[in-house]
Amino acid sequence: MNPIRKFFQTQRRHFAPDGRLARLEPFFEAMEKVFFGSADVTRLSPHFRDSLTVQRYMMMVIVMLLPCLFFGMYNVGLQAFKAAGLPLDFWPMLLFGAKTVMPLVIISYMFGFGWEIVFSTIRRHEISEGVFVTCMLFPLVLPPTTPWWQAAMGISFGVVIGKEVFGGTGRNFLNPALTGRAFLFFAYPAAMSGDAVWTVAVNNGPLAVDAVTAATPLVVTATAPAVGTMESALGEAGYDLAALFFGFYPDSIGASSTLLCMIGGGVLILIGVASYRIILGDILGILAMGYLLNLLAGPDSMPYLSMNPFYHLLMGGAAFGIAFMTTDPVSAPNTNAARWVYGILIGALTVLIRVFNPAFFEGIMLAILFMNLFAPLLDHIVVRATVRRRIPNV
Amino acid sequence: MQKLTIKKGFRFRMTGAPTNKLTVLPDPPQVAMLPEHIPHIKPRLHVAEGDTVKIGSVLFEDKRNPMFLFLSPGGGTVRRIQFGLRRVIQAIVIERQDADEPQKEFKAISDDDLDRLDRGQLVDLILQGGMWWVFRQLPFRDLPDPESSPPLILLGLDAKEPFQPEPAVYLQDQAPMVAFGLKVLRKLAGDKQLVVFTGSGHRSVIDQHGQWLTHIVSGDYPSDDPGTVLYHIKTAATENRAWYVAGQDLILLAQLLTRGRYPTRRVVAVGGSAARERQHYRIRMGAPLAQLAAPGTLNGSRLIVGGVLRGFAAPPEGFMGLYETVLNILPEGGEAEFLALYDPGFSKPSYSRVFLSKLNPAQLVYTCHVHGGLRACISCMHCAEVCPVDLWPQMIHKAIHAKEVEEYLELGLLDCVECGLCSYVCPSKIELRQEIIDAKAAYAKELAAKTD
Repeated sequence: MNPIRKFFQTQRRHFAPDGRLARLEPFFEAMEKVFFGSADVTRLSPHFRDSLTVQRYMMMVIVMLLPCLFFGMYNVGLQAFKAAGLPLDFWPMLLFGAKTVMPLVIISYMFGFGWEIVFSTIRRHEISEGVFVTCMLFPLVLPPTTPWWQAAMGISFGVVIGKEVFGGTGRNFLNPALTGRAFLFFAYPAAMSGDAVWTVAVNNGPLAVDAVTAATPLVVTATAPAVGTMESALGEAGYDLAALFFGFYPDSIGASSTLLCMIGGGVLILIGVASYRIILGDILGILAMGYLLNLLAGPDSMPYLSMNPFYHLLMGGAAFGIAFMTTDPVSAPNTNAARWVYGILIGALTVLIRVFNPAFFEGIMLAILFMNLFAPLLDHIVVRATVRRRIPNV
Repeated sequence: MQKLTIKKGFRFRMTGAPTNKLTVLPDPPQVAMLPEHIPHIKPRLHVAEGDTVKIGSVLFEDKRNPMFLFLSPGGGTVRRIQFGLRRVIQAIVIERQDADEPQKEFKAISDDDLDRLDRGQLVDLILQGGMWWVFRQLPFRDLPDPESSPPLILLGLDAKEPFQPEPAVYLQDQAPMVAFGLKVLRKLAGDKQLVVFTGSGHRSVIDQHGQWLTHIVSGDYPSDDPGTVLYHIKTAATENRAWYVAGQDLILLAQLLTRGRYPTRRVVAVGGSAARERQHYRIRMGAPLAQLAAPGTLNGSRLIVGGVLRGFAAPPEGFMGLYETVLNILPEGGEAEFLALYDPGFSKPSYSRVFLSKLNPAQLVYTCHVHGGLRACISCMHCAEVCPVDLWPQMIHKAIHAKEVEEYLELGLLDCVECGLCSYVCPSKIELRQEIIDAKAAYAKELAAKTD
């Protein structure tokens, strides 16, 4: 017999209702589902059920995040080596990046999943595989220099306050990964903003450096001088369109590559996991608000107003947020019309926050959290309007 | 003839469809009546074990409405009355007397007699003939009050649920019965509309019975359900309490009235990937399942009496129900599949586009596996995408959970046609159909208490 199957079968008795570890049954069940499908058969009609499970649904998101993770490792190494003036060899850079990134990912999983186990045991609910996505999203939006203890704090806040206190997955109205990220952003501003946090310093060997200051594109745009265009300012900093599109610039670990986010989001739309309405709405909102600001821009206004709106899609975490954060089905609205509105408002707010609020140059995080709060209201409006059109049946 | 297109729903690409071959099976030694599976009925027995009965003798009546009689499908001796939990009557088994089975005579009427009868007399004939059960009233699908007049009567000549008998098979040579039955319905409907519909795929039904049809429905399962059709054609809230009749039940009713004998045979289909002989059979009503599927050939497969989405599981020694017209046999599924999570799923049936089976044109094998554990709703909205009557099942689920009666009624709970697609597609494996049926039943009870 398959040794893994044997292992689970022999251990099951401990988690049975009268076993020693009965309260940890949700943990056992979640672990078993990683290796096996379910042997349960239907007790009620319909007698057959769809092959799709929540595990599968969430796994598809994780699979789409993996390219971002590996690119993130490479890019972290690349930026560090560039700053330190080391030769840009592929494997050493990837190794350096992995050494920086993997601890954060592991910490995120340890604490995020740990809290899920604690709460599923106390509150007697199942472990929802959504937590695996949260734990993958969270490190990808962190600056690579984030101290380990802060990563632990952040994911704990995200999972506990962003989700568990409201009853666990399905009842959370905020995106837990972004909640954790926002917590760090406001609680430890020094470690989360400024120029020094986005590139890891290589501090061993002859070329050791203590800190690297390379401004991210969003910082460039927020602090650009009032002369010249934004595009030229970005170009001077080395961030031309290609660099922004492929993601070779200092930024949060996994969010910089617009290309990979496009692929990820595209596949998620194709397999029906992400809502195309939200994603198109986001893009539409960003472009519309961008062009509106272009129209408002006069010769004396700040150059950020007249920036080509497509740059907003390429810079910073916008693409990552659009593909993976706004499409979280739990914290997004449920009705189709509300999803359009939600997307468009997120896009518009992102641009507004970025342009007019230089203290928060990463607008998409706050825009998504803000619209998360409004998602139930948007749904409510759509539901009322639809219910009024139905022929009542009571 | 109006065309009606129902966009939402789902077509199952499922192996094991029965062929159109029709075999007449001999009379079995036992037949049974299953009161447990007649919804909204509280039976009061008229017989005890050991009593002799005729075909058409009263077996039980409804306690709440004693004029609803349920008659014996066989003549002989009551062999066994089987009780379940809380003394629910599961089955009344009748040992048939093989040679000249005793039969009760009812009044037979001709076409001309039918013209002369008034509505009240016709209703009495049907009630005394023990066949009021062929009429069901939406939205609760209970037996309608004979005194009331229906706002609309729907007759469905369609089959979309896997695997109901083909209308073309059971309508074969039954044209006079259909015509007579429709006359009965028209009398019951009075000046109200009579809706007769079939699916656009049933060419032969449209060709042969086109003169009766009012609607041709195109769409996937459950566009064959009268509730679905009603939702898409109704113009006012008064039509919500429409009556409906299944095509085959109408033929049975016409047989009772024209021949003066309680009908005993109907056409059933046997399908499903684990079934040996997949075809149509003409069987005795309440026939034992062993007659349709030899117990030795089952290998632990599940017997489902009724469609796969709405039927009930039965043991190999069980019987066909009063309303059920199909026996589906599906494999249970066996032990948990190793690394199922990482299988690209070229042959895994799914509504979603997550599996490669979307690219596989073949008919797929469905098993009784749940495929996962119960999880919280993640608002994937698959249930709303398939709901044929534009409900948000996941919102109704949450409203039921919060006991917000007003809320879920407003969301359209009573429009639900109980098709089970929401339960089928749910990745969190929430029993949406059962929850909604329970909520509907609780509300029906409340309404009944109010009117008493």
